[in-house]
Amino acid sequence: MHLVTSLLGNADDPELHDVLHRLEHAGRVEWLVLPRADMARRRLRAVTDQGSEIAVALPRDVSLFDKAVLVLSDNQAVVLRVEAENWLCLKPHDQAAALALGYHAGNLHWRVRFDGAVLQVALEAPVESYVQRLHTFIEDGRVSIEPPAVAAQGE
Amino acid sequence: MTALGIKPAAPNAARIGIGGPVGSGKTALIECLIPRFQAVGIDLAVITNDLVTKEDAERLQRSGLIDPKRVMAVEAGACPHTVIREDPTLNIAAAEECERRFPNLDLIIIESGGDNLASTFSLDLVDWWMFVIDVAQGDDIPRKRGPAILQADLLVINKTDLAPYVGVDAEAVLAEALQIRDSRPTIACRCRGGDSDPGLDAIVEAIGHDVLFTARGAAP
Repeated sequence: MHLVTSLLGNADDPELHDVLHRLEHAGRVEWLVLPRADMARRRLRAVTDQGSEIAVALPRDVSLFDKAVLVLSDNQAVVLRVEAENWLCLKPHDQAAALALGYHAGNLHWRVRFDGAVLQVALEAPVESYVQRLHTFIEDGRVSIEPPAVAAQGE
Repeated sequence: MTALGIKPAAPNAARIGIGGPVGSGKTALIECLIPRFQAVGIDLAVITNDLVTKEDAERLQRSGLIDPKRVMAVEAGACPHTVIREDPTLNIAAAEECERRFPNLDLIIIESGGDNLASTFSLDLVDWWMFVIDVAQGDDIPRKRGPAILQADLLVINKTDLAPYVGVDAEAVLAEALQIRDSRPTIACRCRGGDSDPGLDAIVEAIGHDVLFTARGAAP
């Protein structure tokens, strides 16, 4: 198990890029893919795509980020990637519905973003648990579910 | 002591949260965890949150289980959720004070002030958190699907020994909770009179594995 107590930099940093490029050609770069929600953690345990166990224990003033280099040696690197995130896209059909939907989402502490007239809710649990909380909006036609938006990895 | 062979050389103590409704057994669980961690050399402190008293802190300080100086109280005021989620400043300050007083700490346990099922912990405050419910609250708590039930790193179902007296099937509650949580960690236990309860050991093991970095299947 690798114990990570500091971040070594960004995989795109010029001084790291060449080393990582060489290791990647040799199949020595491992990816640790984490959900967006785990980015706020300072301490966690996870497994890379090649099965290496990683224990992260960062100082409280350090935050994980996409492409953070966690491990780097002559023959191995571990780079963090943020998992592609799914969003539930909700379209309120009038201003009153938009007001009520906005209040509802805030009341449930959902993480949201806006895309024009569409409210997007980050799916941090099964989608059914969100849809169940919206059933009155959907049943009376005030809100409809739009095709899902899938963010690119790390976005 | 750990899979690393020694205590992890982490730059600070792990911080874990324990939330749950008033009376679900949060303080009783902490009373069960303290000797288990102490027995394997884990250096720990506890921060309790109460609305307007220091009831839980004083209970732990009187317990004889832990140096009273290692128990700090935060008075949450009107809303127990706010001080562990929206604005956890008071608890962060208390955790930092614990680390100043006891620089070799491995673990800080932060007990919330009693919550409904909407309660969650900020990950700015804790690294990992569990939510404690009990069978005597009824068998419908898991399927109410509160954010705490869904999002906790570990759901603890306490007081399994009371199930026959309140007309609840503890096994069924556990199975339903596992299904609702998509098989995320869920453990049943009894804190009162359950010194050898395997659920308590499983909780210690989960904390050890997830934030103290012990091997799966090994106590910290």
